[in-house]
Amino acid sequence: MTPIDDDAPPLDPAESLALIERERAKLGRDLAPDPRVMFWPWGIAWLVGFTFLFLRFGPDGRVYVDMPAWLPLAVLPLLMIAAGILTGIAGGRAGSRISGPSTRQGVMYGVSWSVAFTGFSILFAQFSDILSEDRAGLLWAGGMVALTGVLHMAGGAVWNDRDLFVLGAWTSLINIVGILIGPGWHSLIVAVAGGGGMIAAGLIGWLKLR
Amino acid sequence: MSESDPLVTELDPVIHAQARLRVVSALSVLRDDDRLAFPQLQQSLNMTAGNLSVHLRKLEDAKYVEVTKTHHGRTPTTLVRLTRRGRLAFDDYTAALRALLKPQEGQ
Repeated sequence: MTPIDDDAPPLDPAESLALIERERAKLGRDLAPDPRVMFWPWGIAWLVGFTFLFLRFGPDGRVYVDMPAWLPLAVLPLLMIAAGILTGIAGGRAGSRISGPSTRQGVMYGVSWSVAFTGFSILFAQFSDILSEDRAGLLWAGGMVALTGVLHMAGGAVWNDRDLFVLGAWTSLINIVGILIGPGWHSLIVAVAGGGGMIAAGLIGWLKLR
Repeated sequence: MSESDPLVTELDPVIHAQARLRVVSALSVLRDDDRLAFPQLQQSLNMTAGNLSVHLRKLEDAKYVEVTKTHHGRTPTTLVRLTRRGRLAFDDYTAALRALLKPQEGQ
């Protein structure tokens, strides 16, 4: 701990520059929300939730695990709500340390997610009755994953974060592949490649911050 | 260069004190107009609240930082921001440090 009034200049220029960089890096790290907390809940939710979906609603109507139909349909949204709450708290806590343009930016980005998901949910609900069960499932899952991918890409643009942009592009790509291959396979691809991608993003972000 | 210490004669005395240099360095990470909560700054710098307050007051006197007290709901919050002048002083200071380093490297 430094004394109250240390007007003594103890450092040479090189040490001073090192000190400056240390303090800048330290506060930068302290202010960034932990990437593990921001990505892993979503990665796990997708990995587990879409695996449940795949096992019950497999390709061509196959049932790999004979569980009640409501179970995967409940597990996925519940896990996603839990992930949303966890990351919302973590993001909000990180945002509360700062007040100003950055906070507004974060709030606007968060609101965009809510608005996008609400809008798509209301739209998709209009088609649930008309479509077959597996087509309706593909519409919901494919639409939500597409939204997630695009919003991550937009986040990358907002914060000039290349990793976030790459995650979004990857999610969008595997989503399109899954949609084209068809219901069932889409769930498996999103579980493994989508959920896995988010877990990898959390790990890479964390390793970079350490 | 050895007669009088160039560090003392050429560098901004307000942020030449190590503690204040640390404060200004940390605050320089923030974007313009972003304000940082006092406890976060204190924790990141690992200073006591009293110690940090003393240095902030000196920086405030030099108009390098702006300290605002506000309310977050019902809890009072103190927010700290680097002023334009403070950022300029910090940039000049780091530029001066680099300039001091260069001739030494050439020796």
